[in-house]
Parts: sequence; C-alpha cells; structure tokens
Amino acid sequence: MKYSEIIRLNHELEGKLEGAEYKVAILSNIMVHQSKDICEYLLRIESINTKVVIGEYDNIVQDSEKNQDSDAVVIFWEACNFIDGLQYKIDLFSDKEFNGIVNKIKLEIDIVLSALKNTSIVIINKFSSLIFDQFSLSDNNLRRLIDILNKHLKDSVRVNTRLVDVDGIISRLSIKSATDLRYYHSSKTLYSVEFYKEYFENIKYFFFAANGKTKKALIFDCDNTLWKGILAEDGFDGIEIFQEIQYLALCLIKKGVIIGLCSKNNPEDVDNVLENHPDMVLRNDNIVIKKINWDNKVLNLKSIAEDLNIGLESLVFIDDSDFEVGLIKQKLPDVKVFQVPSKKHEYRLMMKIVSNLFYNTSITEEDAQKNKMYKEQVERSKVKNKAVNIESYLVSLGISITVYLDNISQSSRISQLTQKTNQFNLTTKRYTESDINSLILDVEKIVISIEVEDKYGQSGLTGLAILCKKSLMIDTLLLSCRVLGRNIEYKFLDIVIDIANKNSIKTLKAKYIKTKKNQQVNDFYNQCGFNITDRSDNISQYSLDINKYKYKHIKYIKAINGN
Amino acid sequence: METRIKEVMSNVFDIDISMINFQSSPDNIENWDSLKHMNLIIALEEEFDIEFNDDEIIDSMNYALILNILEDKN
Repeated sequence: MKYSEIIRLNHELEGKLEGAEYKVAILSNIMVHQSKDICEYLLRIESINTKVVIGEYDNIVQDSEKNQDSDAVVIFWEACNFIDGLQYKIDLFSDKEFNGIVNKIKLEIDIVLSALKNTSIVIINKFSSLIFDQFSLSDNNLRRLIDILNKHLKDSVRVNTRLVDVDGIISRLSIKSATDLRYYHSSKTLYSVEFYKEYFENIKYFFFAANGKTKKALIFDCDNTLWKGILAEDGFDGIEIFQEIQYLALCLIKKGVIIGLCSKNNPEDVDNVLENHPDMVLRNDNIVIKKINWDNKVLNLKSIAEDLNIGLESLVFIDDSDFEVGLIKQKLPDVKVFQVPSKKHEYRLMMKIVSNLFYNTSITEEDAQKNKMYKEQVERSKVKNKAVNIESYLVSLGISITVYLDNISQSSRISQLTQKTNQFNLTTKRYTESDINSLILDVEKIVISIEVEDKYGQSGLTGLAILCKKSLMIDTLLLSCRVLGRNIEYKFLDIVIDIANKNSIKTLKAKYIKTKKNQQVNDFYNQCGFNITDRSDNISQYSLDINKYKYKHIKYIKAINGN
Repeated sequence: METRIKEVMSNVFDIDISMINFQSSPDNIENWDSLKHMNLIIALEEEFDIEFNDDEIIDSMNYALILNILEDKN
C-alpha cells in the first residue's frame, strides 16, 4: 500500500475506535516522522486505538523521562548521529575520544532504561553500522563501537524491554530501499517509508500481546496442509509428510499454542496416519482437538472454539483450498485464515508469519503444558455432554483451588493472564510483568492469584484478583476461560471477600467496565449481592457491605492456602 | 496527473481535494510545514515512481511548481 493511502486511511480511522487510547512514543536522534501514520495505521486496523507521539529531534534522554507514562516507547538510536558525521570521523579518533563516546552513550543508555523502567513496553533497536559501513569487509572502529554498545544494551535490558535486530529488517529490504541518504544529509531522515512499513509490520506483535490480541489456537486442515496429497485418494503410503511445517507446529506447542485439526476426511484414516505413519512429527498427543468429518468447516471451527472455550478471534486456520479459505473468511471473519502457498518453500516462510501471531511477552513453563491442559478441557466437555445433572458432574470433578497472596515468583504468569483474559474479566486492565511486580511490592495492594486442579489435571494459574486497600476497590477480577462453567467464580469471590474482611475492609467497591468480549460478566457483581451505585453506558460501579455478604460456601470446591 | 497529485496532497495535508488549486502553497494550507513537505515529496515519489533532486525538493513549494516538475519528469 502506498504511503499517501496509508495516511488517508489512518486519518479515517482516527477517533473511530473504541477502547482506551494506546499511547506509543517514538523517540529518536534522527528524524522519524514518517513512522507516525504507518505505526498508527497498522495497529488501528487491528482495533488498537493507537496514538503515536514523536519525540523531539535528538532528545532521547530527556524524552525518556517525559514519556515514561506512555503505554509503549519505541527508540531509534542511530550510532552515526551520536555526533554529527561519526561514521567518517571515527577512524581518526584517538583511544581517548573513542572511549569518551563509549562512556557517554553507555551512561545515556542507563539513564534512559532507568527512566523507562515502569513503562509497559520499551522497544529499542540494536545499534547498527550496516547502512554506513556497507562497503567495508573487515573490522573497523565503527563496528567495534557498535559491538561494545550492543553488548552493554543487552546486559542492561529489563523485563519490559525488547531489542530489535534492525539489520535483519534492512537486509530483507536491501539497504538501498530501506534508506534514503539524500534526506539523511539534508534533514537527518535516514529511513524510507518502505523501511517503516516492514519495521512496524514486524514489531506490531509486541503491541498485540499487550492489548490481548494474541492468538491461542492453530487449526490445520490435513490434506495438502500437513502432508502433500489426498489421503482418501493417494492412500497411507501415497502421502508425503510436511515435516518442517509439523516441526514448526511442535515449537508452537512448546510456547503454549493449542494445535487442532479440522479436515474433511474419514476420522479413522487420519487417526491411522497420526498413530502409525513413520514420517509424522505431530502425533495424537499433540493434537488437542480434532474435527475430522464431512460437515462444513464453519460449523466445525465454531464448535472447536466452543469446546476449547475460547473466542473465534483467538483461532488461526490453515487450509490449502480456495473454497474453504474463502468460506471461512466470509462466514467467520474473526478467524484469521491462511492459505497454503502453492510453492512449498513459501509455506515455510508463511509459517513464520503465523508463528508471530502467537507472540507472547514471555514463555512460562505453564505454556508448555497448555496443550495438555486444553486436552483435559476437551475431555471434561465430553463428560459434561454425558452428565445430565451439572451439579453432580461438578462434584465428581474433585475441584480444588490453591490461593496465593502477593507471590512474586508468579508475576510473569500473572501478567500474561491480564493480557490474555477477555471474557471473564470485570475491568480488563492489562498489566506487564513490571506492573505486576510493583503491585505485588505495594503494601496498599493485595494481589491474589489462584491455581485450579481437578481429577483430570491442573489448570495452572487461572484466576487473579487485585485489591486496593486504600480505595477499598477490586481493581481486577478475572478468571481464565479454561476454568469457567464450574462455579469457580463464586468460590473465588468468597475467597476475595474473606481476604478483604481479614484486612479490615468493611465496605468494598467494585467496577464492571464493558468491552466487546466481557458481556457474560456484566451482571456478575449484582448476582453476588453487590449494590449498584452508579451506571453509565460502559461502566457500572458497585459497593458491598461485607458484613451482609452471603458466602456461597460451595462445598465441592476445596480451597488450599498456597503461601 | 493533476488529480493524482491533488489526491496525494489531500491525503498528506488531510484536507478536501477541492481545496487544492494553482495557488495552493504553505501560505494558504495550514498543514504544509517543513515536516509535511517531506512527507509530500516521499508520497509523490512513490506515487509517480520518480525521484526529486535537492533543488526540486526546495522548489516544489506550491501546487503549480509541483505540476511543472512532474510534467518535466514524465
């Protein structure tokens, strides 16, 4: 898409998006103004209500202080403008001058990272000499400087910081089309519009994760998708397994992505391949959900989302057929659909893009277990279908909840939970790992997290409440959709209110903030005996006299103290 | 070509296309500052697949001159 068209479409989207403004500050020691519309546009089309602010020219240090309250900060720090003309002066530098620059920039990096330590996401490009150094094949002072500074950068980053290997992006485009040195000399504009398009296309996934837009499940068709050939026609021995694709799927499983199958085939034929084909990489154990039948794929994908208890917008579907891809795009626009390219080497590249949609701020041990947990969820739905009396079914599950207070070792998982939970989430506040760390350390705040277990297995860390003692407010109350439908929410609220009571809170306030996805809890506080004190279109406020709260005392859910 | 230039200008300056005429310049288009001017040049270069030289970048400070320069280049 052309730059002027991006500007136009971006202006059209301005002010039309719902949700809180997501402020991105772009700081730089060169001119980066063309990045504004491109960054805003790429995030706005994903419904992230983005506002980009460009910092002052060559003012990264001061701007880092000024913009620490932004939701995200992106830093373009160009080595060749540390001082004007560094690239042609540096080879004449004395050791003293060289070390002077090194120490100055190291100090500035430290100041900037420290000023931004509480900012949710900080994205910094690694220093690069590629553009100005392209004809030099051996080591030189510029490269030495960059290596030293990159090492310092790498050693100093905090949990909220992502380093971007900008050389990779430049290489993909070629130096010639990524830059416009004409403008560099006249106005310190180094990068071309082409560069910014590619750059933000690559880093947008960092913002997705922070805005709860990360995908959860990857569903494959089988024929010509997991293998070459049509099983029903070419037969067990006639198909050729796409091993590389399947290895990439295995890597995703390790990151906590759910893998499923949705294919028009005979189920026993596919099972036979999954169990017995010598070349297969994915096996039955890796596949959480299978819809192998001759029904239409719209119904099958819908029921996959239901069985997994996740939204359609969390699904990614890969199929080779024009018909199926077109059908899903039209009927289920929330599902992200990819078509298998006809050239096999392009399929591998496409899978890399698919993988980015599952980008996670950090990978926890629990992620690696998630496939297993979702598999158990599917088992539970099966039993649920058989059991007529839901209460007796719940009793049969033997559910127990382990409660943790201010447990700092969980902060990474807690942060992920706030970023990914959309449905049962009363206020939908997204917190990064560093936000959670500060909340846990704050004596005025109580961070209550729970793990849920039943006879089918552990659901891991699946619930969170944050109580603010000063404002007497439930800041956050959420449960992962993996544990919904088992009355755990009522037990959890009992626990939260008990903790509030023990902290001498007499009147507890709470809030419901409406989003597109949390309709199911719009009446939750009311149902639980809270009184409504104020209601507007998007926010309802509640208050509860704790002495009058009626505990649900759900006997079949056991609560265990985890501290 | 005139319409295409006007479209690019209208996008870059975020004004209605009917506002652009032969007199259009930074004097009467509020948004046309030095930063937007660079955006305009980049957008025009991309639109017409051409390159402005340094003098042309400085010269193209009103609609009539932009049209002249682009006509010369084609």
